Amino acid sequence: MSPEAVRVSATGICKGFGGKAVLEGAALEVRAGEVVALVGENGAGKTTLLRICAGLIPAESGEVRVKGSIGYCPQEPGVFELLTAEEHLVLFGRALGLPRRKALAQGQSLLEGFGFPLGERGAARDLSAGTKQKLNLALALLGDPSVLLLDEPYQGFDRGTYVNFWDHVRGWRRDARAVVIVTHMLAELNRVDRIIELPLHPSRRATEHGQRAQR
Amino acid sequence: MTRHTLSRISTIAEMQGRDLGRRRFALILLVALPLAFYGSLAGHASDAIVPGGVAMAFSMAGAAIFSVLAARAADQRLVLAGFPPGELLAGRLIFLEALSLPIVAGSSALMALGSSPPRPWILVLAVAMVALVAVPFGLAVAALLPRELEATLVLIGVVGIQLSLDPSAGVAKLLPFYGPQQLLYVSLGSGYPILAAMERTLVYAAVLFAVSLYVMGRRIRVRRPPPPDVPG
Repeated sequence: MSPEAVRVSATGICKGFGGKAVLEGAALEVRAGEVVALVGENGAGKTTLLRICAGLIPAESGEVRVKGSIGYCPQEPGVFELLTAEEHLVLFGRALGLPRRKALAQGQSLLEGFGFPLGERGAARDLSAGTKQKLNLALALLGDPSVLLLDEPYQGFDRGTYVNFWDHVRGWRRDARAVVIVTHMLAELNRVDRIIELPLHPSRRATEHGQRAQR
Repeated sequence: MTRHTLSRISTIAEMQGRDLGRRRFALILLVALPLAFYGSLAGHASDAIVPGGVAMAFSMAGAAIFSVLAARAADQRLVLAGFPPGELLAGRLIFLEALSLPIVAGSSALMALGSSPPRPWILVLAVAMVALVAVPFGLAVAALLPRELEATLVLIGVVGIQLSLDPSAGVAKLLPFYGPQQLLYVSLGSGYPILAAMERTLVYAAVLFAVSLYVMGRRIRVRRPPPPDVPG
């Protein structure tokens, strides 16, 4: 397969919530071996666009096409508070068709790569925010998906892990994965291949300006 | 049903068990709640096994509601990873129904010892039927009302109304625990047809599970995008 193959293509995406438009004609294209940063103000629809690309919510109009398996890392860790990291690996591994032993081996290697304390046997609710986020990210990477949709995946990471995260991003690019990262860390944008800025929808911009004027 | 399907469902059931196993106080309440209802009435009401038996619904439906609500953040992610929504619910249903067996056995044995009903085996059957319909009832309530407060209030409302209504009232017959309630009366000597009560309970359980499958299936479904047209 050509390394430039289109993995994710979203065009003309429109979506609103509660009668308020969030996305209007949004577009995104990511190729294999490419890392794209999705940036924009709060409320610009970055998470919404990512969720639409993952198939978690439908767009009102527009078209999304994805080639390959998807690894999705939500902003808020989508984990079971009373299960341990190993139990999560077994559960998510089973969903991916991985036998227990393979899921554990692959998952532990991912966790180790992010500096997750491997002796940790506690339930997710007892983990620190950063450690829980490492589990959240490892679950998205389980099964070696070819498309990674990561919504602020480094939240709560300490400095070392954060730097290490970008080293992983380089590795994913080398492996010809298509990577989309929702980020607010503008200082790190030199580490990505392309930046897509989602503008705040004009109706929301008008509302926010109005609110500021009233203050 | 393939071996892979069974393996996925059993993994969900296993993780449900591990999750609930860490809620020790909740487990104690699961066992104690129906007995508390029974115990509060046993001294002065000859039919204390009826509220005691129906109160099993609070335990099992409550456990079912929280099994769904505790998984809210992760369920759609599991579907994206490859779990069909039906398997997630089936795993929870199987685990909770299996969990109900020792609770049913223990609480009906205690009620049989305390009240000496003329037909103790029907008492065991009746309490088992309460648990059988309570789990899909809890799954359906959680699917329809995915917030703790609302779902819990509906559970309290439905079971409470079933307990307080005269069983001959028309509304009582429409509620999910009417069949098991009649079986509890049969264990005390009433002549309600046993098979009809069981049939009603099984149909109710099947319909409630179908509702939960439909609603949850829609809520957590993943619309997997098609691949791009241009060959890559």
